[in-house]
Amino acid sequence: MMHKEMIERVLVNIDRVMIGKRDIAELSMTALLAGGHVLLEDVPGVGKTMMVKALAKSISADFKRIQFTPDLLPSDVLGVSIYNPKELAFEFRPGPIMGNIILADEINRTSPKTQSALLEGMEESSVTIDGETMMIPQPFFVMATQNPIEYEGTYPLPEAQLDRFLFKLKMGYPSTKDEVEILNRAEKRVPIEELTTAITLEELVSLQKAVKDVAVDVTIKTYIVECATQTRNNPFVYLGVSPRGSLALMKACQAYAMIKGRDYVIPDDVQYLAPYVFDHRMILKPEAKYEGVTALEIIERILTKVRVPIEMAKVK
Amino acid sequence: MTENKIDWKLLALFYGLTFMLIREWLVPIIELTNTGHLWLFLAFVGIAFILTLIKVSWLISTVLKVVYVFLTIHYIFYDKITPTKETLSSLVSDLISNAQIIFNGYWDEITDPFRTLMFFLLLWMATYLVRYWIEVRKNIFLFYLMTIIFITIIDTFSPFSANTSIVRIMLIGLLLLGLLSIRRLNERHERPDSFNTFILLSTPLLVMILFSGALANIMPKLEPIWKDPVPFLQAFVNGEGAGGSAKSGYDSDDTALGGSFVQDDQIVFEAKVATKQYWKIETKNTYTTKGWLQKTAEDIVKVLPTGSDFEGAEEIPADVSVSTAQLEMKEKFPFIVYPYGIRRVTMDGVEELKYRETNGSYRLNVNDGEAKNYSMEFLADTYSMKRLRDTVMDDYASVEEDLSQYLQLPPELPDRVRFLASEIVAKHESVYEKTKAIERYFGRNGFVYAQTDIAVPSEDEDYVDQFLFDTKKGYCDNYSTSMVVMLRAIDIPARWVKGFAPGETIKNKDGEKVYRVTNNEAHSWVEAYMPGVGWMPFEPTIGFVGQNNIDYDIELDRDDPETPAKKEQEKKKEQEKKKQPEKKELEKKKKKEKESLSYEQLFKKYWWRIITVISVLVIASIVIYSKRSQWLPIVLIQRHRSDKNEWRSFAKSYTILLRQLDLVGLKRAQGKTLSDFAREVDTYYGGTRMRRLTSAYEKGLYGRQTTEQDWLNLKEVWEDLMKRTAG
Repeated sequence: MMHKEMIERVLVNIDRVMIGKRDIAELSMTALLAGGHVLLEDVPGVGKTMMVKALAKSISADFKRIQFTPDLLPSDVLGVSIYNPKELAFEFRPGPIMGNIILADEINRTSPKTQSALLEGMEESSVTIDGETMMIPQPFFVMATQNPIEYEGTYPLPEAQLDRFLFKLKMGYPSTKDEVEILNRAEKRVPIEELTTAITLEELVSLQKAVKDVAVDVTIKTYIVECATQTRNNPFVYLGVSPRGSLALMKACQAYAMIKGRDYVIPDDVQYLAPYVFDHRMILKPEAKYEGVTALEIIERILTKVRVPIEMAKVK
Repeated sequence: MTENKIDWKLLALFYGLTFMLIREWLVPIIELTNTGHLWLFLAFVGIAFILTLIKVSWLISTVLKVVYVFLTIHYIFYDKITPTKETLSSLVSDLISNAQIIFNGYWDEITDPFRTLMFFLLLWMATYLVRYWIEVRKNIFLFYLMTIIFITIIDTFSPFSANTSIVRIMLIGLLLLGLLSIRRLNERHERPDSFNTFILLSTPLLVMILFSGALANIMPKLEPIWKDPVPFLQAFVNGEGAGGSAKSGYDSDDTALGGSFVQDDQIVFEAKVATKQYWKIETKNTYTTKGWLQKTAEDIVKVLPTGSDFEGAEEIPADVSVSTAQLEMKEKFPFIVYPYGIRRVTMDGVEELKYRETNGSYRLNVNDGEAKNYSMEFLADTYSMKRLRDTVMDDYASVEEDLSQYLQLPPELPDRVRFLASEIVAKHESVYEKTKAIERYFGRNGFVYAQTDIAVPSEDEDYVDQFLFDTKKGYCDNYSTSMVVMLRAIDIPARWVKGFAPGETIKNKDGEKVYRVTNNEAHSWVEAYMPGVGWMPFEPTIGFVGQNNIDYDIELDRDDPETPAKKEQEKKKEQEKKKQPEKKELEKKKKKEKESLSYEQLFKKYWWRIITVISVLVIASIVIYSKRSQWLPIVLIQRHRSDKNEWRSFAKSYTILLRQLDLVGLKRAQGKTLSDFAREVDTYYGGTRMRRLTSAYEKGLYGRQTTEQDWLNLKEVWEDLMKRTAG
């Protein structure tokens, strides 16, 4: 219960700035707790940056932002060693990746080389510069945004790298009522500046550890695997969800269960999270496009088809 | 062909019903043509339907059918399934030669294997037609109508009896018609064919058909305006009276007994009488090894007036009243059928009857024509048990009446009949007990009651001998004749009686209980002469209960003034001893007789009652079963109330609840999670019960937290929700 209260404090905090985006806040929190990263795909101006800032502030984390442009170099992300004539030695100047929470804006506008520098850091939690491996401070959470792929001047992220993100989310526009409320609040003040810390970084790390203790019954594991397997067998799917995808879903479920105040995962968690986890991990065949079938539709269909485990697993 | 997809279960149902209709065609055809191997043909139809059902490609199905037909023909004509070189070549050459025969138009010369092949082809075509009717036309009325016409014609003009068949056809056909019309309606309104909704829709139909079928069976029926048309047509063609000796019924010629007893439901008369009576017509005295004749040197004919007591009728004791019987004749005879103890006949327009003592028949004068309706008074004889038991063979010496004609036996009678008779009666002393022993003999020695396939003795065979030792299968004529012959063989005078069995009780037009006697009740039994008592009827035919008013008159002895008081007790004891086994034996016999009514007979006799009872039971169980969502929860709540308060029993209860919800229509799709489902259920019933139960269940199931829950409270919530679902 303690855990839930702490998480709830963060979510309430975010809600002060991000009106009506509780679900995105929850999902971001889930990713953060599960040690994953989030890819936000949406048009500019819907509050992606605000979201990350609010999250960073709530957990008193070090917030960095990288605006990706076509001419950005890997060293601009990772940092660079500069010769210090005073000390007759190279001195490392850490790049923006050396922070706790990083907003990688418009990640698909930069060259694949620079992209992969960031993505490697995300996967390994360390960076190698000039033959020297440096650990990235924990917690480490990247929220990358990308413009929808159809836009001009984009370098689409390769599949293998998309896999690095735990979730792919869409922010969406706020409802009229919520938008009016946003205007109201911003009329006289800057809400983000009024945010206070909800939990400390240490508390966050302890929460991340506790997530691993959330129980996942064997029936749930089977259910997850069954869903993943179905994506592989679907006639519209060229490349289904990998075992890494199943693993990611399980971890996400654990974190989400904790947010919901449970210390065990239920099938609802799986069903809720599966679209966010699976969507960007599937490559559809061209036929799917002709027929107008999207990955989300396929996942939805799979979820209605796969039997939800409702009885005890047979003890062997 | 525009084929709409039909649920395969539905299709299976349709084909199943049609299969039963086709069976009604095959059974009489096979039976009447003496083809045999009914099941092989049925199996062919079944296989054809199954192949259609599982959508086997036409090529494979054709190959399978051809192979089946070939092997079947091979099996039928060569008695083995695996073909050998010789059988194969003979079969092929047979088929080829037949092709030539057909080509030349010599239809009569085609051989049996070829006929069978043609029959199979016909069946094949029939299955295709049925498929067309079911799957494309979705209307089977034509086939249904044809089936009815076929079966009625077969029933009328052939010995095949379609009594039960027509009922089956009506039920199956109506059901099939109704179901198909529901399907057509579904199609017209573009509703999907779900098996379950279909079954639901057709339930009223099923109930209606069963109900009306059962009702139609119970209700009294008007008689046919046109009686059995065959005799009518025959009479029309021949210009003479009806009556075919092939049918059952009364026929005065009994010289050649044996052969099948063909059912004929034509009503002979209806008798309004208080108790069951055997209806006697006449007796015969001479056995010819093949049948019976009446031979008398001189006929003693008495003229008896109607409307008053017969001459010589005994005085009626003050405390006894005579019984009456009113007969409404549906068939006309020049003689009367009468119960035992007849003492007066009243008949409109008939002044006198001629009573022929030698054969016990009452005839009308020739110019009086045939007997119409008449009433009779009778006083059934009672036989004193004591006197019967005291009868001994020596008493015949003192009988004045000349009984020699009733001891006649043909000289050709095989000796083994005589030996058997003496063997049966060896242990018995009195004439009565000997007679009873022979009467009982048939019920205990593997004799079977049957009406069809009854042997006719050939030139050098004896009817009785054949029945007693070879066939052991027959109907009343076999049993009664055999008993008379065996009685005569041990020198007990006996004669063969013809008439009608009591018949079945029905309600007539005025709602009175009457006995309806049809030609099927034509019967024969035995009369034996008990010295000192007279002629007494006996019933050897198994399945029939005879009619004897035996007075167990043991107490009468006490009034005997001549018996010394001292001996009285002793004697009483002795009589008691005797009486006991006698009574027991009689009871036993009754039981035996009941048992000896074979299942087949029982079914024949009570088939509509059995069907009614079964259909009522079926309907009741369907209703109870379909209403189980209302009573099952109550039962389950009771059953689980005392369960332990722990996870295991809670989980069980929860699963039961899920099943119950499913029953009342709240179905959980397999991809739906329990909590989603719980929300749905709670929206339906209000409250949060299902959510509470579900979260507890999830905790136990997914979280393995199977302790520390408020099981007692959960059980209450569970019971509450179960009750809600039942309401």
